[in-house]
Amino acid sequence: MTVTIPAATAAPVAGPPAPVRRRRPRRSTPLTIAMFAALAYFLLPLFWLLVSSTKNTQDLFTTFGLWFSHSPQLLANIEAAVTYDGGVFVRWLLNTLLYAVVSAVGAALLAAAAGYGFAKFRFRGSTAWFNLVIGAVMVPTTALAIPTYLLFAQVGLVNTAWAVILPSLVNPFGLFLMRVYAQDAVPDQVIEAARIDGAGELRIFAGIALRMLAPGLVTVVLFTLVATWNNYFLPLIMLNDPKLYPVTVGLASWAAQAQNGGAGASSEMLPLVVTGSLLSIVPLVIAFLLLQRYWQSGLAAGSVKQ
Amino acid sequence: MSVVSAGPRRAGLLFVTPFMVLFLLLFLTPLGYAAYLSLFQHKLIGGTTFVGLDNYAKAVTDPQFLRGVLRVATFFVIQVPLMLVLALLFALALDSGLMRLARVVRLGIFVPYAVPSVVAALMWGYLYGPDYGPFAQLGRLLHVPVPRFLSETWMLGSLSNVVSWEFVGYNMIILYAALRSVSPELYEAAAVDGAGAWRIAWSIKLPALRPALVLTLLFSVIGSFQLFNEPKLLQPLAPDVIDSGFTANLYAYSLAFTGQQVNYAATVSFLLGLVIVAVSYGFLFASNRRRAV
Amino acid sequence: MSQFSLSRRSFLAAAGAVSLGTALAACGGDGGGSTSAQAVGQSDVDKAMATPTELTFWTWVPDIDQEVALFRKKYPAIKVNVVNAGQGTPQYTKLRTALQAGTGAPDLVQIEYQYIPTFTITDSLLDLQPYGASALKSRFVDWTWGQVTGAGGEIWAMPQDTGPMGLLYRQDIFDQHGIAVPKTWDEFADAAHKLHAADPNVYLTNMAANQAAAWHGLLWQAGAKPYVSSGKSDIAISVSDNIGKKLAAYWGGLAKDGVIGTEPDFTDAWYGALNNGKYATWITAAWGPVFLSGSAKATAGKWRAAPLPQWDSGSQHSGNWGGSTTAVIKTSKNPIAAATFAQFLNTDPETTKLFATKQFLFPSSKALLTDPSFAGDKPDFYGGQPVNQVFAGIGDTIDPSFQWPPFLDQVVTDWTETVGKSLADKTDSVAALDQWQSRITAFAKNQGFTVGGR
Repeated sequence: MTVTIPAATAAPVAGPPAPVRRRRPRRSTPLTIAMFAALAYFLLPLFWLLVSSTKNTQDLFTTFGLWFSHSPQLLANIEAAVTYDGGVFVRWLLNTLLYAVVSAVGAALLAAAAGYGFAKFRFRGSTAWFNLVIGAVMVPTTALAIPTYLLFAQVGLVNTAWAVILPSLVNPFGLFLMRVYAQDAVPDQVIEAARIDGAGELRIFAGIALRMLAPGLVTVVLFTLVATWNNYFLPLIMLNDPKLYPVTVGLASWAAQAQNGGAGASSEMLPLVVTGSLLSIVPLVIAFLLLQRYWQSGLAAGSVKQ
Repeated sequence: MSVVSAGPRRAGLLFVTPFMVLFLLLFLTPLGYAAYLSLFQHKLIGGTTFVGLDNYAKAVTDPQFLRGVLRVATFFVIQVPLMLVLALLFALALDSGLMRLARVVRLGIFVPYAVPSVVAALMWGYLYGPDYGPFAQLGRLLHVPVPRFLSETWMLGSLSNVVSWEFVGYNMIILYAALRSVSPELYEAAAVDGAGAWRIAWSIKLPALRPALVLTLLFSVIGSFQLFNEPKLLQPLAPDVIDSGFTANLYAYSLAFTGQQVNYAATVSFLLGLVIVAVSYGFLFASNRRRAV
Repeated sequence: MSQFSLSRRSFLAAAGAVSLGTALAACGGDGGGSTSAQAVGQSDVDKAMATPTELTFWTWVPDIDQEVALFRKKYPAIKVNVVNAGQGTPQYTKLRTALQAGTGAPDLVQIEYQYIPTFTITDSLLDLQPYGASALKSRFVDWTWGQVTGAGGEIWAMPQDTGPMGLLYRQDIFDQHGIAVPKTWDEFADAAHKLHAADPNVYLTNMAANQAAAWHGLLWQAGAKPYVSSGKSDIAISVSDNIGKKLAAYWGGLAKDGVIGTEPDFTDAWYGALNNGKYATWITAAWGPVFLSGSAKATAGKWRAAPLPQWDSGSQHSGNWGGSTTAVIKTSKNPIAAATFAQFLNTDPETTKLFATKQFLFPSSKALLTDPSFAGDKPDFYGGQPVNQVFAGIGDTIDPSFQWPPFLDQVVTDWTETVGKSLADKTDSVAALDQWQSRITAFAKNQGFTVGGR
């Protein structure tokens, strides 16, 4: 369905065309100030994280949380985090990168193909299948963890990278988005013309449609990237070997060393947890900054239509 | 609207198959397995027995489960309007062109979405601290009473804050992207008709946003009713407030991992899924009807 | 050539196992036994230890590679893969899931004393009797042996480290307010009122509302027997007997009066409180002193250690909080090598000494507790007081017959939501105790146990 326009404004407008695409109204200072206040709220916890990353264990407990201590040691903390236990943190970051990138690209391609299939072809049960996928999102996955584990164990997937990657490849939201996007972005006439030229369906998809789907694709890549990057519960259950941990599970295991108490507990892990947290979100933020042009247009299509 | 000729029917299947096969293997099979498990009962002494729908009968009268569902429903009613209204206001403000440095603000508000909930809970947990949290310290310094964020009274609000912090930006971006795709001629027309900024927002932008709003609302239904990560991660800081059945999903988790009642946990998950489906379709139905009027 | 050499100790151990194994065989198998406790012959042990083998060992002891290296030096054929699969509960969750799946479980695990019954109820641990474990009894602190043996005499694990409970206190705060180290819980309560009245920002201690383990240690000290099982399918639950009620009334009263803290422990706020002098004591265990000296550096030199206050001034009792064992998982394909490793790790003089001096685990080995290099340590953080000696002495006052329930996770959760919550909310802790009792009882019945007690 498309956006309905109120009748009053849909009347044809006479007069000269506007010189710029959008009339640029006067800047509003109160609005700018209000929005910066909101911005401050959203950045406050991150500021705390940055400040805390410069502190040693004692200062974490004894100095004011939102300002630096007299002896900042960000570099020392970073060094401690990346060298602890033979550099296992770097390994976790690389694992996360691997899981997230493979999952994201794989999920986007699978969703693009399926979305294109659902949008441009009619076949038996297509609507039912599509609804099934969307409906499946609504059952919470936490309690499915054990059944999934038991099934994965049967085929020897537990404690491997695949146990994390495979489930992330299926992204129902991605499918939804790509279906909506493909509907508009790939005109039927283009497909028809290609067919008349004798191109096979696969070639039409890979050679023509995929390029038109690029912004939607990037959007799915980014959102799967975030989902996999932030995934905690599934890898926690699936992985036993710390060498395979993604960074979320690794950080949580460090935090547990400080928070569980008992023999072997140490609060010395807290600065590492804090600094590690900071390091772990930097790559994602950068990815979003670099790719923002694409994902916004991709989202626009997904949200205007249903 | 679609290219429906006899030949490419099979091609459609071809494109859909890889996704659907994985969906079947990785989503539906565990789901089916869990459904199967929900028909059994396992006891430490006595082993596994088939109990039919007994688990379901038990769950619908289980006060802990019902309390958990009620709590996430309350959370939904409090948090989602707040989050979506904020997201909407921010999106409209950014789209109005009335403010300076809009790009910076837009990205800044969106950044929390990229922060793992593990890290978000760590940060907010510290900020909420009753003795050494910065808010409490500032409050003491200025002799202003600061709420005890982690107490029973405030917990739902504190959780709402964390979840809103994480997702306002995400929803804002969806709404903002939808606004950007509204044809500029509409604005021109309205301006010529003498409509002010508020009038344009109300008469043109809001109707244009309806599909996007319904979408964000649906995501919020799922997110709220499945609420798990944030309460789970704040639990160590407030064990007296966040109990094992605080949210319905947390209850399912506790049953599976603490109580070793995998079968009953599966039952609870399915029922929760059912609640979510019902609420979601309720909203879809309502929004479609209103549009038809 | 060293591959085939055999230490005198393991030979004696094996010999001991042989005699005990035959004795058991004579008794005949009881309910539990599909596998009879047939002792493993020395030649089998020799053969197994010379056969190239890989063992997987889940443990969260940091840098345990040093100890493992000592084992490998002696048995080069056995390779041990150390995996840190999480500390405590996360590891147990994974272990349980792997056991359910029937694949992915390790050969050996670190397991805390209180969790042993949770894994023997599912028949997941290997009885170490046939592998010569019985002969090692005299090397361990008495109460630990009670913790690792089962109702039928099975030996489920080797004690690794312990946590006899004691009191760490701030000498400076005590001096400042003229408070003597409390010898009884009555004196402790008086001190709590006195201190908080003198300085409203200071509390005598914190009774963490999330720390069921400490509560159990205090129950243990008070002489309670909250869980008693004689076989596999029965359990008597009496967490709310008179002893439990005494404890609940005492701590609930102090919490209600607002003279102690009840905040969750090991959180940022709690660490801050210890550093900032909010609490004048910490009721903790033998691993506490080293832990505290690393976590509250701002208060170095101000702390001292003492035994727990007593309920009855005439006698000395304590309980245990924390400490771990090494257990062999029943599904291990290399039970001999795994059992030998578990025994070596926790009895070899060098490895046990490393545990005590490098990882600062409080020993389970009798020999080490009296070793001057350990007991004579006088850390500056405690003003030169030989704290290890204090806690070594406490170890002798722990009742060896205390038992744990076979569903500890549930018991702990239920405690937090009843008794712990009543402490934090300053409500009736004795009433909460009854709720705890009825919740565990209901759970146990639901799980098919024959439930008695109370």
